[in-house]
Amino acid sequence: MLVTKKAPAFSAMAFHQGKIRRVNLEDYKGKWLVLCFYPGDFTFV
Amino acid sequence: MDVLSVSVDSVYSHKVWNETELIKMTGKDIPFPMVSDQTGSIGRLYGVYDEEAGVNVRGRFLIDPEGVVQAAEILSPPVGRNPEELLRQIKAYQHHQKTGEVIPSGWKEGDKTIKPHAGLAGKVWEVWQPPKE
Repeated sequence: MLVTKKAPAFSAMAFHQGKIRRVNLEDYKGKWLVLCFYPGDFTFV
Repeated sequence: MDVLSVSVDSVYSHKVWNETELIKMTGKDIPFPMVSDQTGSIGRLYGVYDEEAGVNVRGRFLIDPEGVVQAAEILSPPVGRNPEELLRQIKAYQHHQKTGEVIPSGWKEGDKTIKPHAGLAGKVWEVWQPPKE
């Protein structure tokens, strides 16, 4: 159960406004972040 | 507030989905990074990777500026989320972190909040009532 716990760190590649770049969870320290998982691109909802 | 989306698709799939479909829905590029989690390793860390289906289900985690998970919601694939509820939760946590007050059920921005203190135990009904039907 993650609520009230430190968010698990990760680093991964991402597509962002025309570029492919690495993102690290740590880079979001100091900001509110919504981390949003979904089943797949080109699904319907 | 920043956003990261995560699925098991490749970054190239994200690029093509943005270009061929999402941009047509919203009229602009997706503004946040679309993360690729092809092995499901990020999904496993957050408990939302479905090993049998090989995908991440609809998990949403609200992470505060200290890096602590304050709220989470997990839906199965067929039903989409309610972004207004997410925004309401962010406002509620921000209000709590700024003031130390706690946020009653159904609160919306501008509604009454509660200053917790020992004298209030058992007397919350004097200062807060749920909306009437």
